[in-house]
Amino acid sequence: MAKVLVVADIKQGVLKGSTAELLSKAKAIGAETAVAAIGSKTEALIPELVKAGSDKQYIADAPGLELFSAGPYAACVADAAKQFGADMVWFGFSESGKASAPRVAAQLNAACATEITDVKLQGNQIEILRPAIANKVMQRVKVNSDKLVAVVRAGAFEAKEGIAGTQNVVKLSAPPADLKAAIKELISDASGEIDLADADIVVSVGRGAKDKAGVDLVKQLADDLKAGFGSSRAMVDGGFMAHNKQVGQTGKIVAPSLYIAVGISGAIQHLAGMTGSKVIVAVNKDPEAPIFNVADYGIVGDLFEVVPILREEIKKVRG
Amino acid sequence: MKILTTVKKVVDVELNMHVKDGAIVQDGLQYVINAWDENAVEASVQLKEKNGAETTLVSIGGGDNTDMIRKCYAMGIDNGIHIEDPALNKADSAIFAKVLQKVYEKEKYDLVITGKQAQDTDSGQTGIMLAQYLGLPCVSNVISIEVTDDKHIKVSRLGDAGTEILEVELPAVVTVSDSINEPRLPQMRGIMMAKKKKINEMDLAALGTSADDVGAAAPKSEVIEFMASKVRKAGQKFEGAAAEIAAKVVNLLANEAKVF
Ligand SMILES: Cc1cc2nc3c(=O)[nH]c(=O)nc-3n(C[C@H](O)[C@H](O)[C@H](O)COP(=O)(O)OP(=O)(O)OC[C@H]3O[C@@H](n4cnc5c(N)ncnc54)[C@H](O)[C@@H]3O)c2cc1C
Repeated sequence: MAKVLVVADIKQGVLKGSTAELLSKAKAIGAETAVAAIGSKTEALIPELVKAGSDKQYIADAPGLELFSAGPYAACVADAAKQFGADMVWFGFSESGKASAPRVAAQLNAACATEITDVKLQGNQIEILRPAIANKVMQRVKVNSDKLVAVVRAGAFEAKEGIAGTQNVVKLSAPPADLKAAIKELISDASGEIDLADADIVVSVGRGAKDKAGVDLVKQLADDLKAGFGSSRAMVDGGFMAHNKQVGQTGKIVAPSLYIAVGISGAIQHLAGMTGSKVIVAVNKDPEAPIFNVADYGIVGDLFEVVPILREEIKKVRG
Repeated sequence: MKILTTVKKVVDVELNMHVKDGAIVQDGLQYVINAWDENAVEASVQLKEKNGAETTLVSIGGGDNTDMIRKCYAMGIDNGIHIEDPALNKADSAIFAKVLQKVYEKEKYDLVITGKQAQDTDSGQTGIMLAQYLGLPCVSNVISIEVTDDKHIKVSRLGDAGTEILEVELPAVVTVSDSINEPRLPQMRGIMMAKKKKINEMDLAALGTSADDVGAAAPKSEVIEFMASKVRKAGQKFEGAAAEIAAKVVNLLANEAKVF
């Protein structure tokens, strides 16, 4: 039986949904599952990790692991993978996963693949599917190694109900800090806001909104919908939106039930981050804007006029 | 300070791609410098201008890379190495990283700057693996680099919880995001000077290594087929009076798409 180690995606002490998604997929391909939880106060997450579907929990819990540092983080994952005898190590889609996976692969002498959207297992032959070239094509990749370290693309797998695992905790020893790449400070993203990765609805603002007043207008729509509030790179570069709000190849990959793009042209790098959404709505005054090529519902119009009406109409149907 | 920058030639992602018989149709495609590598080149040149440095680029594969390397010269890169070897045709990131390791070891550099990923594979592994093989510190997804003294740089990276500030001991490897800078357009003087510069063309043997040595004889992963992506179809597009079409779309979202 293949063994899959899932690296728990933990943000500000909260276990993210991708962990259960990855564990569900591991079970679906018939694998034995374990989870590695690395950070500070991770022991408190054990019940949730079991509920998410893990049959073994490798826990690294130390104050020194509170701030992400790729070296120690990867060392913990490699340690857990070795102890478990993992055939595959899966990270959820995150910056820490992207920074750690190649290190872990090098340490385990394993193959490495990022942004995977599917895994097939035949005997011990692993094959994966992943998008490439800004999502323009898909690649079928044969893994010529019995070990694979992978980062799974956001929204690729679904969590199944009722797959709860069993509690079987193994404590990992905390690795030494990386003194050669020492984390000095974390300028924290504003907390209390809806995380784009978790949001069921995302409203994103682009250069069409022009300035702070325009951004505030679009944000009201997001607030009404209790939606995550995202951005194109143009508004991040312009200083109107925080880096962590950027949707696209360099930012977050989102796959909500509803994505509303307001004043966004639909550059390929932006599309690469949101075309996995179930329903896409676009508001743009240019009828030729490429965003309309991917939108289920396109509204050709001036956002300053359209957004207030959308808010009114949505209030009518949602009460 | 000696800076090594990696540069890859990739297919122009703005063009339409078609797939036939498991391969990308090459007709009409163009190859350009990887956008994130252009940010890496710009970052190297800015460090050179600010702190003084000798900047070298290395590019693996891509066939005739003369135009691309000249462009980087015109931006301010001093030396260029191009490695071309048929043994690398099926190389994955790990193999590229091994080849880069050989390049690094020949000359030793204080800082290696790579793009955070290549636009053709979107893998984002090579720079990080190179650091692992060399046993050097590494920071990925970097948005600023500042030299603090002979032995240290201060970098910031975009992480999951916010912007992380790190102090890094040199030699080190950093991979940069497009948020780090806006690459300059080469100027006429630079373009003229670039034409006179040599490119150090090498194969694996000239680099003092072999296909076996860098693992190229047995890649750990290989693409066996390209497939067309699922393309979203354009849905309904409404033009006309804002009040009317906005109401119509909200109605459809509620009753057709059932998202409300
Ligand atoms: C390596 C690389 C990585 C990148 N990564 C990302 C990424 O992760 N995410 C990302 O978003 N971009 C990314 N980009 C940038 C991307 O190429 C585009 O430049 C960017 O997405 C454009 O943002 P925008 O759509 O807001 O602006 P624009 O392209 O300027 O579009 C503005 C749109 O607003 C419309 N508009 C203007 N006024 C109004 C109005 N009053 N009402 C309605 N509509 C209006 C216009 O018709 C236009 O379509 C990347 C680029 C590179 C090279």
